[in-house]
Amino acid sequence: MLKDFLEGKPLRHPLHPFLVHFPIGLFILSLLLDLVSLGFPSVPNLVRDAFYAMLIGIIGALVAAVPGFVDYTDIRNDHPGKRTATAHLTLNLIVVGLYGINLGIRSSTLNALRTPAGPVILSLVGIALLSVSGYLGGRLVYDEGIRVGRHKRRTPTPENTLHLTTGENSEEVIVPVPEAESVGDRETLRVEIDGQVIAIAKLDGIFYAFQEFCTHRFGPLSEGDFKGFDVQCPWHNSCFDVRTGKVTNGPAKVDLKTFKVELRDGKVCVGVRRSVEKSL
Amino acid sequence: MQWLLDFLKGKWLRHPLHPILVHVPMAMWPSALIFDLLSRWNGNAMVRLSFYAIIFGLVTSLLAVPTGVVDWSGIKKEKPAWKIGLYHMILNLVAALLFAINLGLRVHTFREDAFVAGAPLVLSIIGTALLIGSAYLGGLMVYDYGISVARMSKKKWRGIAKAGGANLPAE
Repeated sequence: MLKDFLEGKPLRHPLHPFLVHFPIGLFILSLLLDLVSLGFPSVPNLVRDAFYAMLIGIIGALVAAVPGFVDYTDIRNDHPGKRTATAHLTLNLIVVGLYGINLGIRSSTLNALRTPAGPVILSLVGIALLSVSGYLGGRLVYDEGIRVGRHKRRTPTPENTLHLTTGENSEEVIVPVPEAESVGDRETLRVEIDGQVIAIAKLDGIFYAFQEFCTHRFGPLSEGDFKGFDVQCPWHNSCFDVRTGKVTNGPAKVDLKTFKVELRDGKVCVGVRRSVEKSL
Repeated sequence: MQWLLDFLKGKWLRHPLHPILVHVPMAMWPSALIFDLLSRWNGNAMVRLSFYAIIFGLVTSLLAVPTGVVDWSGIKKEKPAWKIGLYHMILNLVAALLFAINLGLRVHTFREDAFVAGAPLVLSIIGTALLIGSAYLGGLMVYDYGISVARMSKKKWRGIAKAGGANLPAE
């Protein structure tokens, strides 16, 4: 419940990217006030104003960190964006630490006409690092699609990709999926078998297997939501019938590959063709 | 002209520009309201801080306008996100106008005033409420409808999907 709230699911909008506006804006404002105090020391109290802007910015940053961390833990461990997210998180911690030091140093010079050089330099470094970190955060959304449409799916998403191999030479093989028993209803697995990446979903007790990537902009269908027998891509809401792979709602136009699922000795098994078609 | 559109869309940065620029007004105007309220206790320092916050927000919001219009014009009119974008734009214009009036009401007295009250405070409250509503719509466009998502990374994802044996659309 708390996790859902921190992920912004009731709001249909993640909380972290909303909250971060405040520290970013206030830290920039604080630096601007510092610079104005250097240029126009006759304007009273600028040094004090910069201090307050920074103080409220730090409080905002700490508040934003909580849903940010929850969002971070929700990213699949082998997602290409995970490393960017780790860098984003690390940089942010460094930035907040620097601003904490910065605030401590300037607290003794609130009545000065000009902000001293040390804190101004710390603010410049802080803004530089924050810009990089903010940029990485934006890339996570706009490049990697992290958090996009994530609120639509209320069940947990896969934490990792299962890597399986067939080890046989026949045309089509049936591969048992070891963790399938633990999958809950309307949950998914992300499985890679000899290069073929497959999403396996359990709907009303029955397993379906289909290609992981949406045919529009290749969003992760293992993180999609389910409506009846349709899987909905989290990114641009394309829908596909998981039984046939047919597009039921755009923007996607091309059908999904689907895979046969069988129960053998109580084990969930997926049928894949040995050679992954690289063309088409 | 195409270079200008590409610039405004943030292609050179591999990141849309509009959501970067809007951090400033989005932080400044609600903060101005907080400073207005704090001025009851913290006096003139907060009155001045609020004034600077509004002005900084206004300047940056003007910069954010062309980037937003360009991103919006790329959405097909029949999509639900188009209409959300339209409301987002109208709300932003009203909020910016209210803060411009707000600024005008303060400009002569902010250096001496002990606290913010009356019309400027009311304008800060209304402006902030409209802005948060508008920002929420902007966020919905991204997180619910995927506007600008995987726009510049489409090629990369296509490569990943291809390596993963997926059916692909024609290029």
